[in-house]
Amino acid sequence: MNRKAQIFVSLGILAVFSLLTPYQAFAVKEIKIGVIYPLTGGAAAAGRELRAGAELAAEIANKIMAGVDMDMAKKAGIQSLGGAKIKLIFKDHEGNPTLGADLAKKLILDDKVHGILGCYHSSVTKTVSAVCEQYGIPMINGSSTSPALTKRGFKWFWRTTPHDKWFTKDLFEFLTGLTKGKVRGVKAVPKEEILNLASACEKTEWGSHVSQLIQEFAKKYDFRLKKSLLYASKSADLSSEVRSLKAARPDVMLFASYTSDAILMVKTLKAQKARPKIIWGMDAGFEKPEFRKTLGDDIVGILTRTVFLPKVAQLKKVAGQVNALYKERTGNDLGGASARAFTGLQTWVHVLEKAGSTKPEAIQRAANSIEIPGDQLVVPWAGVKFSTTGDEIGQNVLGSGLIGQYQKDASGSLVLEIVYPFELASADMIYPFKGF
Amino acid sequence: MDIILSSLMAAMLIGMVLSLVALGLNIIFGVMDIVNFAHGEFLMIGMYTGLLTAQATGMDPLLTLPVAGCVGFLLGLLCYGAFVRFLLRGPMLAQLLGTFGLMVFLRNLALLLFGSEDRAIHHGLLVGKSFELGFGVIVPATKLAAALLSVFAFGSVWLLMNRTRTGKGLLATALNAQGARYMGIPTERMNALAWGIGVGSVTVAGALLVNFWSVNPYVGLLFTMIAFTIVALGGFGSVPGAFFAGLIVGLITEIPGFWDFLTFTLNLDWMSRVPMTSFKYTWVYLAYFVIMVVRPRGLFGWKL
Repeated sequence: MNRKAQIFVSLGILAVFSLLTPYQAFAVKEIKIGVIYPLTGGAAAAGRELRAGAELAAEIANKIMAGVDMDMAKKAGIQSLGGAKIKLIFKDHEGNPTLGADLAKKLILDDKVHGILGCYHSSVTKTVSAVCEQYGIPMINGSSTSPALTKRGFKWFWRTTPHDKWFTKDLFEFLTGLTKGKVRGVKAVPKEEILNLASACEKTEWGSHVSQLIQEFAKKYDFRLKKSLLYASKSADLSSEVRSLKAARPDVMLFASYTSDAILMVKTLKAQKARPKIIWGMDAGFEKPEFRKTLGDDIVGILTRTVFLPKVAQLKKVAGQVNALYKERTGNDLGGASARAFTGLQTWVHVLEKAGSTKPEAIQRAANSIEIPGDQLVVPWAGVKFSTTGDEIGQNVLGSGLIGQYQKDASGSLVLEIVYPFELASADMIYPFKGF
Repeated sequence: MDIILSSLMAAMLIGMVLSLVALGLNIIFGVMDIVNFAHGEFLMIGMYTGLLTAQATGMDPLLTLPVAGCVGFLLGLLCYGAFVRFLLRGPMLAQLLGTFGLMVFLRNLALLLFGSEDRAIHHGLLVGKSFELGFGVIVPATKLAAALLSVFAFGSVWLLMNRTRTGKGLLATALNAQGARYMGIPTERMNALAWGIGVGSVTVAGALLVNFWSVNPYVGLLFTMIAFTIVALGGFGSVPGAFFAGLIVGLITEIPGFWDFLTFTLNLDWMSRVPMTSFKYTWVYLAYFVIMVVRPRGLFGWKL
């Protein structure tokens, strides 16, 4: 065969191969995930954490990282898609549901994303997931906890985090445990001592649901809810709300607040010299680094529910490894928001690996049948497995929550110690709250 | 009893600050018949001035008042000289739309410069401190200081308006601009001065408010609405009216506190379920509506 014929045959073979090889195998060099978080506005502090968590997960998925004992750290990119890399496109919803929906449309129509991750605020997740449902684009939610989100029977929406119903139940189990002497370091407290409750929740989708749940569970567990109020998280002054709470003379004060309002609430409680026996926050603002930095020692004794505490990093090896990387990049420990954003994107990576395609239908099939074992996760859950039947379609059924208490460690710095589940308790609980 | 006393005290303290917020609006309207929609935005500028000065220099936020006052005064003069002066030549509608445009401009300028995040003062001589007066009444130190300084600022403006030649000039311009001009009063300068004092007083109020109220570029709207209510209630153009109306509006914002008092005194379960705190400003707007219908002149008004 002369040289011309050789080239001709080679090109022919190449052409045949190019027809045989699946289009996806080398067409997809990167997988675009649209990430919609509150990067400015009142929840900007949370947004920064969420972004850092998602970025770290993408970095681990895209590179081989020897020091991390996770499947996604052992490979570079999505193997079933020819090593395609994850590309995150961030958008800022400013806590505005309408803006969130517009951004979702832009991501789907202009940026042609393969899927969506977000949105933190349940109210925004609600509108964004409705857009995804309309366009048939998969959306994974890592950190919105309004129970209503997975009760809509959506086909393109999956949520990894446990939701507020579970967390609120945890709170009442904890209070009941306190009366039975189950809490580490505290003798059984007579129920009359913590019988009267008062709650203040911000009035968007998330807070108003938490408020309802507190009312339901208080009745169920036989506690007396003496005051239950809703307030605007953008309020610049909460003194009348705090006076109203104080007027009810509650033993336990319960809050569902975002960052700036959580700080303002505690500052106002301090200014009004409020002194309930227990102060509990439903995660979100109560767990942000800003909350700790701004209020300092005033928060010693305050409880917050969470899904992740730095203490988990000591108990769980893989969480410790990821926490070290996170701290190197941000200077902070992983928190509830960042750990769940990490887990949300990690779930995306596992789903894409299983789907082996970027077609929405393939991703949908993979998400509905995925099972990520707990040892792969930074959060202390049994794993990730989505419900496909019943009244909570798309909800991860293997998640669980924690309750932490701000305490000072031996070096004098503020740490969150685990007080619930009782068997995981990392320190004696401070009871009652000592006042500001 | 502590519930109602606490609410009364809170109403008085916030009422005094709100009076000062409304004073500027009242002066500008009184002297020039201009409804200034950008009033809340000047308050927002005062809040940022107080906050940023305190953060940049490390001085106590309460000591930033003179800076805020000077910034406001100069801003008022600038706004008048470069903008409002020309609006006065147009019809009433042009004046309304003009100050509305100024409001949109200032708000968006603040968004551009400071971003949309809430900012608050966390450190200061009085920040976070409070003391008990007895009967369970707790008074936050920042609010008490803000209220007392408001009364002082209010008193100073009242003295300026009523006891000085300049004040008489302002009053004459307000009563009859043309007549004042014939008498040799430089009405143009008086108008500029009204803007200077008006904006200066509201920026001082802003610097006082920022001690216990967080600031973002949208904070002005709430206060514009409240200031309109106070001015309507006190009477357009009346300085003492603004003070007493401020106290009354302070009491209106504390309706949820009085409701709590009734709830726990009468021990009625259904009352505790009424979300009164969610509607605390609704009563203010309702009061505005009622005043405009029943007594548009206000309590002390002489100008309409």
